[in-house]
Amino acid sequence: MRPRLLLLIAILSVALSSGGSLPEQTVWSGLIIATNSPPIEPTPAEVTQIEGTLRKLFGYSQFQLIGEARKTLKTGEEDWLASSKYFSLHVDSRGEKADAYVLNLKLFQEQKLLLETKARLSKASPLIIRGPQVGDGQLVIVLIVQ
Amino acid sequence: MKTFEEKWTAWIDDQLTGRELEEFLASLPDRTAAEAEKQSAKQVGSLLREQAMALSNADFFSHQLRERLDRENAPIRSEADAIQTGWWTIRRLLWGGITSLAVFAICTVVVFREKTPSSQSQYLTQILGAQVDPTVSPNATISMFEKKDDHVTVLWVDGLQSLPPEYAAK
Repeated sequence: MRPRLLLLIAILSVALSSGGSLPEQTVWSGLIIATNSPPIEPTPAEVTQIEGTLRKLFGYSQFQLIGEARKTLKTGEEDWLASSKYFSLHVDSRGEKADAYVLNLKLFQEQKLLLETKARLSKASPLIIRGPQVGDGQLVIVLIVQ
Repeated sequence: MKTFEEKWTAWIDDQLTGRELEEFLASLPDRTAAEAEKQSAKQVGSLLREQAMALSNADFFSHQLRERLDRENAPIRSEADAIQTGWWTIRRLLWGGITSLAVFAICTVVVFREKTPSSQSQYLTQILGAQVDPTVSPNATISMFEKKDDHVTVLWVDGLQSLPPEYAAK
């Protein structure tokens, strides 16, 4: 009788624990320079899926990735950094709620804090941030749950 | 050659005759007692024949008799056995209930889990707040909007200090 009871408890525990939270997901964060200059490199795969939207939003035709980070969230409370030579984006995940991650974002230009924001990043909806003008282009920050 | 018992039965039924009868009567140790016993046996025989006539439905009584014999010969189940059988039944009922609850709970979790992401994944990303350092970027303005057609959320910052092209370095 006891082994059967233990087996039942184990099955219930696994079912309940696996059903209570989101499966592990990866958040991609990218620092992109949008320009109209001829392409030097092919557009990164992550950007390709929203390239049309970026073109409509900013009026640029080329998108060059200058920094990126890919973080797999296990607890939903992790932090990471996506950085280029001069810019860095610090992402602090504060947990998940209703199929979205609550993120605190800080954009730095070297040591200087340019922008601070808090967002609920949904799985189905990328976040796009317009940064400062850089030369004849534009810094664009993109976050996507993959 | 007939045994004494066979001769005795034949004598009771008046089947012995002649020399065989004489020899049998001579062999009896107490003839008077034997005659009395013969009379008694004949009376019992006639009584049984009368009763047999009264039993018109012999098959029914035979069936009743067999059933009664079967009941009496069947093994008597002890009280302990009965209790144990009862306990087994209760245990099985208990297990049935627990298993049903477990299956129900698992199905509920699976259905809930499958339903939740699809219903909530339609939500757009939300910007809960944004700010720039006014000393670093005194002319900066922030606006936020959702492009529902493209399913994206945009944080639009204007007025940040423009930077030279070398800042586009990797």
